[in-house]
Amino acid sequence: MHLRVYRFDPSVDREPRYESYEVPYQPRMRIMDALDYVHEVLAVDIGYRWLCGSKKCGSCAVNVNGLPKLACWEPVQERMTIEPLSNLPVIRDLVTSRAPYEAALAKISPTLVRRTEYAGFPEPLKSTDVAPTAHLRECIQCLACQSACPVLRTGDTDFAGPALLVALSELAQDPRDGAERAALASDVANVFKCISCYACEPVCPAEIPIVREAIEPLKRMAYRVGSTPGARRAHAFLDTVKQRGYANAAAVAARSGDFGLGALGVALKMRRRGKLKFSDALGGRATPGLEGLRRTYETSEKEDK
Amino acid sequence: MTKVLETDVLVIGGGAAGTNAALKAADRGAQVAIVVKGLLGKSGCSIFAAFTPYFTKTDEQARRNRWRFMIRYYNHYLADQEYCARMEDYMCEEFYPDLERLGVYWRRDAQGNLEMINARNRSLVAHKQGATGPILLEKRRREIQRRALPLYEECAVTSLLGDGERVAGATVLDYRTGEFFAIRAKNVVLATGHSDYLATRATGTREQSADGLAMALRAGAELANLEIQWWHVSDVLAPKSWMRYHLYPNPLMGTLETSRLYNSAGEMFYEQKTHSPGASAPYTEQLRRLCLQVQAGKARWDGGYTSGYDHIPGDIIRAYQHQAKVWGKLGLDVARDRIECGITMHMRHGGLNVDTRTMATTVPGLYAAGGLGCHYLGGFGPASYDGKVAGEAAAEDALRRALPRLPQQALEAEAARVFGFLQADAAGPRPMQAKLRVRQIMWDLGYIKNEKNMQAALAALQEVREQSVPRLRLQSASRVWNTGWLDALDTCSMLDACEATVRSGLNRKESRGPFYREDYPYVDNEHWLCRNIVARVDGEWRSRQQKIEVPHLPPEKNREPFFEADY
Repeated sequence: MHLRVYRFDPSVDREPRYESYEVPYQPRMRIMDALDYVHEVLAVDIGYRWLCGSKKCGSCAVNVNGLPKLACWEPVQERMTIEPLSNLPVIRDLVTSRAPYEAALAKISPTLVRRTEYAGFPEPLKSTDVAPTAHLRECIQCLACQSACPVLRTGDTDFAGPALLVALSELAQDPRDGAERAALASDVANVFKCISCYACEPVCPAEIPIVREAIEPLKRMAYRVGSTPGARRAHAFLDTVKQRGYANAAAVAARSGDFGLGALGVALKMRRRGKLKFSDALGGRATPGLEGLRRTYETSEKEDK
Repeated sequence: MTKVLETDVLVIGGGAAGTNAALKAADRGAQVAIVVKGLLGKSGCSIFAAFTPYFTKTDEQARRNRWRFMIRYYNHYLADQEYCARMEDYMCEEFYPDLERLGVYWRRDAQGNLEMINARNRSLVAHKQGATGPILLEKRRREIQRRALPLYEECAVTSLLGDGERVAGATVLDYRTGEFFAIRAKNVVLATGHSDYLATRATGTREQSADGLAMALRAGAELANLEIQWWHVSDVLAPKSWMRYHLYPNPLMGTLETSRLYNSAGEMFYEQKTHSPGASAPYTEQLRRLCLQVQAGKARWDGGYTSGYDHIPGDIIRAYQHQAKVWGKLGLDVARDRIECGITMHMRHGGLNVDTRTMATTVPGLYAAGGLGCHYLGGFGPASYDGKVAGEAAAEDALRRALPRLPQQALEAEAARVFGFLQADAAGPRPMQAKLRVRQIMWDLGYIKNEKNMQAALAALQEVREQSVPRLRLQSASRVWNTGWLDALDTCSMLDACEATVRSGLNRKESRGPFYREDYPYVDNEHWLCRNIVARVDGEWRSRQQKIEVPHLPPEKNREPFFEADY
């Protein structure tokens, strides 16, 4: 097997480099076994982090050929370029700092805030009460999803990212919790910045349906509260479609009160390319067959209640 | 000048014992600082806890079973029985409410009843990735963060500092940055666990190099029963990184069926319900049976035998989704295939000699909590109890006491030792090679011990200490996450801990539980129901025995052949 490993020691190196190692294949070998071989047999001091070696601690995720993988869990490939996770600062070589994640976690108050006083063990709780969070509780905070997130890759520091939203959603959907999780989701974690691209789901070693079971429920909650720009935009979008049968950027902007300079810049650019008419903000034609669409709205609103 | 921080209570370790010690010491009003070599709640052995034992006092039969299990099968009569009674109270009254209050959800059915593993001893589960430990520690971690207790992660404690009378603090290397600092403390709680990576195959994790044992030894503390070392028999052989994946020999939830062991001829040689129906956690019995297979040439310690669940109906075993996924990841079907296994060095019964009423060690100012003690094998619940006892005792004492003087000379000497390893040389030899050599020595010593092979192990360890350690050179002298630097420090800890363990083994002239001496192949309760103690004072090894009282459950026989005993 051929390994190309990212090497960077910020205390001495001016820029990162790649070093190559030949590692003999052993049956059932994991990525971690290959890294261990480099460390133990080739006696190279690569910086890499692993603790439990059995998919419990979530400390060993790295990018392999461009995709985040839990090193202890995934099998080796014949040629591997191994790099640190994206969207996190590098401490050395493959080791990234978890500090930004911890700081963001602290902001969403990640402990249970009880609605009512604790009743003593065992407190009244049924398996059905906690079923919505069953998959979320499997999260080991390996941060593979944070690494795969294209919104975080844009450098957006307001967006908490999928791993944080999983933690927040677990609490938000806990029947015992009474904190204002919807407000935290929209104002602090900026859940509406998630574009529902699903890039996080296939890389999750715990196989958590992150978008469907963590993020969408948070968006729904935040939508109901509706006070933040993100929630207002979501309302404006849905209302516009309900009214006309199609989305329209000018109308969405007008309804959500998005009149900032940034929004104006984007609007002008869109207008130049023929994608937006300012007059649409006020009126606009309804699409044929709108009645059917409205019935869909009514059904789903009823179900949501 | 080395930076010095100050606190009332310094907790070293971030597992079940360390986290609870920190929380309970803080509850008592003490200032607390926590240092963890890995990541709090993610490193160490506590996250491997598969389930938590469910203690009740209402069912007398269940209670008798529990005691028989604790004393005879789990601790081979080496437990402190008065401690067990107090720990039982804690498990009945405090353990579950403490963690449930933080939000832990223990599995229930649709009616809200707790779901239990109904083996001889009942247990509860709160699963994350097939284990209970990770979720319990995730909640404790967040509680510690919510209370903003000072936490130093990925920091290796390199030594305990004493003022001549008592422990006065510790030196710390933050290996992310290379910063070396000291923490001056009124009391120190060591909680570094009972599972270390000291043999080629071990369940101890990467960062676990017995630093706690080694530092305590160097501080003059007494260590007891280190030789009572458990081995897992049914752990995955390949890939090597999966040697910590365990095929439980105990009954699983929803069935009383257990995994089976097969030799190289395909003959089944161990099954819990057939071969040790009385023993829950039948690890010592598995070992003895495997030993007979190895001696008959039908298995090796590292492979040549298999384990599996293929005798259990597929729908029952596939319900264990995590186990099924582990097998599936290797291209195997949990309901049809078997996995080749090898033994792994697992938890150690022995550790620091403690007074279980406070968890104080024999060195003033130093407490030991959890598996690092010598009074009980460990487990998430008992370790949490120890944390509470040690945390509260250390806090109460600290509030009555002034900060001890930090010995400047010892501090600078330790800095010199630590930075002395930071020498680069392209030619080596590398610290990792010394580390691997120590693991190989302990692996070669293995399960079957005698005077001769223990003396040979001692000589081999001495050779590493004298010949290799002074010549170790690193690939780079960088202070940032320098794995070679850590490996060098680890090697020193491992050498101290392994030497103490082998010496302790030489002193014990009997066999017991997982400790087998072929030159003394009998259990001798008349002479060896004791804490078998070693200590190093001014460079001299000392040893003594401290009798273990058995007021609640004495052994049935004074002496019996090792291979006939069932515990």
